[in-house]
Amino acid sequence: MIVCENIRKSYQIGHGRKHVLSGLNFTLDRGERFGLLGRNGAGKTTLIKLIGGVELPDSGKIKRHMRVSWPLGFGGGFQGSLTGYDNARFIARVYGRNYRDIADFVEEFSELGRQLKMPVKTYSSGMRARLAFALSLAIEFDCYLIDEVIMVGDQNFQRKCIYELFEKRHDRALILASHNEFFIREYCNRALVLNNGFGTVYTDMEEAIGIYDRL
Amino acid sequence: MSKLSRFLIGWHVQRRVLSALMLRELATRFGRENIGFLWIMVEPLLFAVLVGLIWRALHGPEEYGINMIAFVVTGYIPLTFFRQAFGRSVKAMQANASLMYHRQVHILDLVFVRFLVEMAGGMMAYLFIGLVLFILGIFPLPHDVGMFIAGWFIYAFFTLSICLLASPLSETSDVLEKLVPVISYLMIPFSGTFNLAMWLTPQARHYLLYSPPVSGMEMMRHGLFGDVVRPYYSLSYALSFSLIMALIGLALCRKVRRTLVVE
Repeated sequence: MIVCENIRKSYQIGHGRKHVLSGLNFTLDRGERFGLLGRNGAGKTTLIKLIGGVELPDSGKIKRHMRVSWPLGFGGGFQGSLTGYDNARFIARVYGRNYRDIADFVEEFSELGRQLKMPVKTYSSGMRARLAFALSLAIEFDCYLIDEVIMVGDQNFQRKCIYELFEKRHDRALILASHNEFFIREYCNRALVLNNGFGTVYTDMEEAIGIYDRL
Repeated sequence: MSKLSRFLIGWHVQRRVLSALMLRELATRFGRENIGFLWIMVEPLLFAVLVGLIWRALHGPEEYGINMIAFVVTGYIPLTFFRQAFGRSVKAMQANASLMYHRQVHILDLVFVRFLVEMAGGMMAYLFIGLVLFILGIFPLPHDVGMFIAGWFIYAFFTLSICLLASPLSETSDVLEKLVPVISYLMIPFSGTFNLAMWLTPQARHYLLYSPPVSGMEMMRHGLFGDVVRPYYSLSYALSFSLIMALIGLALCRKVRRTLVVE
């Protein structure tokens, strides 16, 4: 379970402050799959970073009663000057896993081949996404935080992700930020719509998407 | 779960994370080419040897009965350790912010790891050059190893406290980053690198001992050279000064973490 109580977050902009989240409350239970909807700048990425513990809220509490992944997004989580294998080694060490197991899974899932011996900064965004997904699936979490990134990959990669994430691990919880309504309708069973710093949880996906369309 | 077992698990995770971070830091900085991580002792070695040779040429082979090269080396190795650790603590958080993606990694780890890498490099360089110079017959067998090690840790604790302070301060203001070279240079007189307290006038000595690393340096040199060096130091002052700095630094790190923006 993840409980967010009265989350506020603002950023310094010049001499002023931009309030991104101004009192957000929700609870995510085991196995619930949240689609995170909101316009650009509504705070989707910010919320995912806060839940992942990458950044800290100005006030409010986030309680994590399960193993939550790091945010899978376009940046972050990797050291660009290190190779894919070195990043895998680092993550295996930090999460206390056997490196060989992780490396085997990454090789198989990411299909990056010899590219894994190259520095991550030479990867395209699709290749980074493959590595990030492979690593987080290898570690195994109860809740995955996904920021749009599923959409970067090619058809083959998307199919693999969908299989691993929604079929093999259908009992896991998920927070998926996306503008792709089809995806959210298909794979999520709750929607969290962010607007003006507040958020509302809907169990009726059609209703949520309708509200999002009118924002 | 009892408090103790929770603490033990936490300690276990922390150790694992620190060692992963150390290996990562070594790999990113030195790579696996040629001598790899042994590069960490190259800079202190080169500094100590070259400056030692220059001083030997300018001031003669001995000073107050201490071999000139040995004297410069014992001053310069700790000094380069301080300078490097201080310089690398600046902006350490911003440079490694992406590590915050992994919740096991805490902001303090970033400062500790850079400090530990520099300390390990300094100690290895010291041991290496000490052995070589000993074989060449210009370095003494330590007179009092305990005293020497205690001095090193006083010096290192002071360095750590400055790192803990400089790292968060450099995140809140860009001024510190620009002052690093000047501060590093000014550390030469205030670290006791080129002067023993016993060579100074009582008044100058009194003021110099307000600088904590001087105490560490005096202890190290007495531990090494023995009675030719009459050491002046204040353990309680040096330790409490560093402790207060470290505590302020820890509070600042916490504060900076709350507002750290990670890409």
